[in-house]
Amino acid sequence: MLTPKERLKLIFEGGHPDRPACICPGGMMNMVTKDLMEEVQVYLPEAHTDARKMADLAKAVYEKGCFENFGVPFCMTVEAEEMGAKVDMGTNIYEPHVVEYVIDSVSEVDRLTPVDVTRGRAKVVTDAIRILKEETKDVPIVGNLTGPVSTASSVMEPVNFYKELRKKNEEAHRYMEFITDQLIAFGRAQIEAGADVIAISDPSGTGEILGPKYFEEFAVTYINRLLGGLQKEKLGTIVHICGQMSPVYKEINEVKSSALSFDSIVPMKEARKHLPDRVLMGNVSTYALEFGDPERVKMLTKSCIKSGSDIIAPACGLGMKSPLVNIQAILACMQEDEK
Amino acid sequence: MSSKEELLKRLSDGVFEMEEDDVAEAAQEYLDAGYPAFDGIMDGLVDGMNRASEMYEQEEYFVTDVLLCSDAMYVGLDILRPYLPETKDDHKVKAVIGVVEGDTHDIGKNLVKIMMETAGFEMIDLGRDVELQKFVDTAKEEHADIVCMSTLMTTTMGGMETVIHLLEEAGIRDQVKVMIGGGPISQKYADKIGADGYSQNAVEAVKLAKSLMKIA
Repeated sequence: MLTPKERLKLIFEGGHPDRPACICPGGMMNMVTKDLMEEVQVYLPEAHTDARKMADLAKAVYEKGCFENFGVPFCMTVEAEEMGAKVDMGTNIYEPHVVEYVIDSVSEVDRLTPVDVTRGRAKVVTDAIRILKEETKDVPIVGNLTGPVSTASSVMEPVNFYKELRKKNEEAHRYMEFITDQLIAFGRAQIEAGADVIAISDPSGTGEILGPKYFEEFAVTYINRLLGGLQKEKLGTIVHICGQMSPVYKEINEVKSSALSFDSIVPMKEARKHLPDRVLMGNVSTYALEFGDPERVKMLTKSCIKSGSDIIAPACGLGMKSPLVNIQAILACMQEDEK
Repeated sequence: MSSKEELLKRLSDGVFEMEEDDVAEAAQEYLDAGYPAFDGIMDGLVDGMNRASEMYEQEEYFVTDVLLCSDAMYVGLDILRPYLPETKDDHKVKAVIGVVEGDTHDIGKNLVKIMMETAGFEMIDLGRDVELQKFVDTAKEEHADIVCMSTLMTTTMGGMETVIHLLEEAGIRDQVKVMIGGGPISQKYADKIGADGYSQNAVEAVKLAKSLMKIA
């Protein structure tokens, strides 16, 4: 039988393994729940700032039969914080979030602190990856990055940012280049520490917000620049975009990641039809995972597989109160079919 | 000298085409010509914003476009508003709006606020990452008619249900309508937590608010 790592590798390469992979990357795609924390007695928000705890919580996700990967970190604020944004670490049920921006305009890019991967929470993340690399073998380690547009709109007021894409177009590009370079540095450090896969989530860079023109000019351009800046020595890359894809299928197909992931508003069948040659990941409703029951989750999982998903995953970050049995139902029903 | 109609059209077009400077110029000329500020707002600025939201509904305009249109509208409003006759404002429906605690994504909330303001609602904006009790306290102090909440994250949507409970505890649940929205939110979720309505986008939010308040 294939190990989870071998299976994911095969899928990224366009092969056809015994069954789809089942992963939840981490980062924006949170996979830590209250139940899980209680099972292993490791808790958020402490695990956001402690490499050992971060690694242990990531391990629990696999060991408790939720998903076939390890993933860190559990939020999308590391990059912004290292660049100077003030972050509230959240609680055991709320994710960390930015509470104070650094700048008001793209023209003030020089006031941002470049990300230093040897300190702060960037170091916590790479240390956690190193621990995972040392203590595990057959399970892919996913390092997460916040996408360029989402990072860009986490260190400054998003409304100004969106407006300046048009009003200060040239400066906006200079700003995005700086942001992307910081993400490349953090991504490279994660791969160097042992991450097999890099997952990039860009929830603020949606086609619905930007429209096709700016989606291509800003989201696609800088995601590709980021992907291109990472080392070749890795299993693959995943890009997750939120929101409707119908206005931007053509543009999203330009994204040069190994896999594309969408949220539950995008029907997997529709995505498959528009992107016949791409490796697709998704998209079991996180609403069903939190409020449904294992039977419903199984049904949705099977429907995702049937509709052409190569990597089964939740459509978004998991709600912290999602019952463990619901989460476990995804993988369980895929393994049932194996027998 | 331009006619009133011409100036109204310039106001409307300026908003629709996101040209702040054009709007400012047209608004000043409009006032200098002695036309009433109220018409300039309603038939000029708001008309332009309504055209923008139609384009938004048809997916010809996107969020970035609507934000720039609204900037142009507010430039015009700042010029015309001081010349409004007083008393007009008494019967406005009041709504409290905010992003629930734990979440700072407020682009959708801002859009809803803009669209509802354009439609004549008085909006009290609590901002993002709003402590849940604050929705209730503000609704009570301001005698609000509507409470609007949004979140983009699954992890924070539970806060909306808490606010509804807090409204009950404060004894004002039956005095306000609760509207919710945001990425992970659905009509199903609204029903589950006992909200009065859900809307998928900012244009729908205006329609929902009007139907909840029974205004045409």
